[in-house]
Amino acid sequence: MRLMIVDDASFMRVAIRRMIERKEYEVVCEAEDGLQAIEKFQKYRPDVITMDITMPNLSGIEALKEIKKLSSTVKVVMVSAMGQEALIREAVMHGANSFIVKPFKEDKLLEVLESLK
Amino acid sequence: MNNSYIDEPMLEAYVYETSQIIETLEQLMIQSEKIGTFSVDAINEIFRFMHTIKGSSAMMMFNEISTLAHKIEDIFYVIRENQGVRYDFSTLVDCILESVDYYKIELIKIRNGETPDGDTASLTDKVNDYLEILKEDNGLKKTKKETETKTEKDQKYYIRPSKKEDSAKYYKAKITFKKDCEMENIRAYTVIHNIVELVEEVIYKPSDIIDNDQSIDEIRANGFLLAIRSTSSEEEIRKYLEKTVFLESLDFEEAEPDWFKEFEVIYQDQEIHEDIKIPETSKKYIENQKVKKEKEDSKQEVTTTTTQSIISVNVDKLDMLMDMVGELVIAEAMVSQNPEVVRLEIESFDKASRQLHKISSELQDMVMAIRMVALSTTFMKMHRIVRDMTRKLSKDVVLEVYGEETEVDKNIIEKIADPLMHIIRNAIDHGIEDEKERIAKGKSKQGSIILEAKNSGSDVLIIIKDDGKGLDKQKIYEKAYNLGLIYQSIEDMNDKDIYRLILHPGFSMKEQVTEFSGRGVGMDVVAKNIESIGGSVIVDSVISKGTTIILKIPLTLAIIEGMNIKVGESRFTIPIASVKESFRPSNKEIIRDPDDREMIMVRGLCYPIVKLYEHYGLQTEVKNYESGILIMVEEDDRSCCLLADELLGQQQVVVKSLPNYIKRYKQVKGLGGCTLLGDGSISLILDVGEFELSNVHEK
Amino acid sequence: MNEDMNGFFEDQEEDTQKGKFLTFSLGEESYGIDIMYVTEIIGIQPITVVPELPNFVKGIINLRGKIIAVMDARLKFNKAPKEYNDRTCIIVIDIAQLSIGIIVDAVAEVINISDDNIVPPPNLNSGGRKYIKSVGKSDNSVILILDCEKLLDEQEIDELKSSND
Repeated sequence: MRLMIVDDASFMRVAIRRMIERKEYEVVCEAEDGLQAIEKFQKYRPDVITMDITMPNLSGIEALKEIKKLSSTVKVVMVSAMGQEALIREAVMHGANSFIVKPFKEDKLLEVLESLK
Repeated sequence: MNNSYIDEPMLEAYVYETSQIIETLEQLMIQSEKIGTFSVDAINEIFRFMHTIKGSSAMMMFNEISTLAHKIEDIFYVIRENQGVRYDFSTLVDCILESVDYYKIELIKIRNGETPDGDTASLTDKVNDYLEILKEDNGLKKTKKETETKTEKDQKYYIRPSKKEDSAKYYKAKITFKKDCEMENIRAYTVIHNIVELVEEVIYKPSDIIDNDQSIDEIRANGFLLAIRSTSSEEEIRKYLEKTVFLESLDFEEAEPDWFKEFEVIYQDQEIHEDIKIPETSKKYIENQKVKKEKEDSKQEVTTTTTQSIISVNVDKLDMLMDMVGELVIAEAMVSQNPEVVRLEIESFDKASRQLHKISSELQDMVMAIRMVALSTTFMKMHRIVRDMTRKLSKDVVLEVYGEETEVDKNIIEKIADPLMHIIRNAIDHGIEDEKERIAKGKSKQGSIILEAKNSGSDVLIIIKDDGKGLDKQKIYEKAYNLGLIYQSIEDMNDKDIYRLILHPGFSMKEQVTEFSGRGVGMDVVAKNIESIGGSVIVDSVISKGTTIILKIPLTLAIIEGMNIKVGESRFTIPIASVKESFRPSNKEIIRDPDDREMIMVRGLCYPIVKLYEHYGLQTEVKNYESGILIMVEEDDRSCCLLADELLGQQQVVVKSLPNYIKRYKQVKGLGGCTLLGDGSISLILDVGEFELSNVHEK
Repeated sequence: MNEDMNGFFEDQEEDTQKGKFLTFSLGEESYGIDIMYVTEIIGIQPITVVPELPNFVKGIINLRGKIIAVMDARLKFNKAPKEYNDRTCIIVIDIAQLSIGIIVDAVAEVINISDDNIVPPPNLNSGGRKYIKSVGKSDNSVILILDCEKLLDEQEIDELKSSND
């Protein structure tokens, strides 16, 4: 599965990459904000996206909406934190396939990705 | 904390990013304080910073750090979401700066592989109180009850994508989620949201999953119950439900229509929701984002491209790259200067090797350039120092910064922050007078400190200039004389030599210890730190006009100009900065003291001699003075003469550290590292400061 | 506190090299080193003496620009020194982020020794005894398997340090 990691925190990108790279997931690109996410989605066409919500320039939810317009098959997993319930609901409404709540560990992330196959 | 974990890229990324955020946050505070308020952009940025720290720290399980960040995030959430909200700006800045300090300390612990165990209780309380007051003052204390009772009416949820009623069957399902999957209500909502395509109608319990977070508890206790009416096959629906993320168990079976009716009756309300209500706050948030996006569209273009063109690289990798380029330069010399090839005098070879030489030296310059970092971050830190100092001492001082784009090697930057801090503290504490005194002297009320950096050949000059009371020559002289540091009369000394005395260990102009610049650390430590990186300190002053301190530092530490010498089979390299002169002594100049220590008289001064072969127990033919050579070395005004077999010449060398295995064994006295010579052999770099030097001038 | 996170990124490659040993000789004896630790084998080369070190640490060498320390296995095990010749090899091992070269008489081969052919060491009287982790049997020969961790043990280093001072 080809994956794009979207997060403005480089730590989170490293963390997610470390967690999944040894499995059969291939991280094809990373993006630091919503705008980059849309841009890179068009370029790399990943199968799955892990999408942070709070980001500069364009929020994860806005990026999700745009990306879902561009592709109906791409799977998007929202990466959220406690206290963002309302935002996740909104994301799910707009087509987010699943979500994961920080802090999480490898097993949880993999389970979510597994379920999207 | 387990040490093996420290090397993990995750930890590295965490420390790196969090430190950067903290630094930016601190600058943001100082800047905001200058304009007396937070701009909209600043508020958004701080919110995002805290959000990031919260998330990352939680991932790393640094819970205290995460919790504190969460609280501050909450404060800025309130400020962001409620335009025109009134808040106590200066208390908030203090709170955040205090948190910044806390984070800095914890990050140092984390970097050193320790557990971040700082107590946040009082800080968290402070932040909490602030949040409470903020909400109260602005009437934002929402009673949670209100929202709950409101949502309780929304009991039911229908979906009717089509009206094909006939073939529809009824099913009941019970979903339980895995422990710790978090936000079960929203997971349940996801199930409902996506089942739409499969079913005619679905009713679920608990029904208030949308707005009531307490439904989480119910789902955890009783599971999530669904009553489904659908024309899809049982298998299809089962498959769909089985794919639920974090599914612990699924009970799914066909049900009687009667049962469905019953289930329906429990939730009588007939209201049909076409869509799900989005809570007000998040709607507003989205709109804000939209507005912001439109507003800043052009600006974004720029920021995106700049962030993409910069990558962060581990310093170790750069060190490695530089090592390899150093190797390349040596290998290149080995090839192009190979005597057998050179003897052949092939024109095309000479041309090619000149080209190779040009490329490899350009490559070396480029690698050096990559390691260069602008002084701006270090300079920016000084704003915070000035802020804290001026507040505590109630002085009005403005810091002006110039040339912060000047670059020096990464290793050096780390070594100059502390000395700089100390000089600036000194300037504010002892240099700049209080307001009354300044006015009496006819100076402007506000003191000024100018911090400037500029390039000067292979050095960088950092100039710290204040307009305070200046240094008192007479006082310094008297004190130094009384301390026995000097014997000359004041007339025999020039101004700079007198000012230099303040750098002398044990000399402290101000007797009373103040909280800031006292602490027993004087200018001598500054001088020592700067000298440890091969730099020097120059002091100049005009009484009642101010003091100027100039730090002269080399651009890089990684390459030094060295004098190669030979002792038996061993080669050593002495940093050229430490070498005063070299000469062949005659035996009659050698003096022996009663302990049989040898010394030599040079121009009336007596220098101790260190015979390197003896010092390091090496085999050599050259044991008497007349066949060897003496190299006079000096550090911190202390000198000695080293006896070697012969000089091999002067060259630039790339400094490498000794293998860890050896360093673990023993800190060999006088060895500062090693380097590779042109023929691939290893030369040991001498650290002159560790030899038994004597203060020749005092004698 | 991060205990469960350590499991996170465990290395999974280890298994393929299990049971493989590089064997070398010191006089009449055959020794083995777990191949896991070995990064390369090079011929003897000029060694730069570093002063003030115990006699078995011969100095440092330039391994393609990387400076590593080398120790003489004979001296480390209190055996009589032997002049280096063209069969002398330096086995470079990497352990706990330390690279070090071990000078041996000659390198033999890489062999497989299954777990049931490995037994605890008997009480040998040679000086190298405490660095022997176990004894392996391969065909008719006996291989003394080195305990690399002990070879670089810090505690021992400390002892030496204090006796030298």
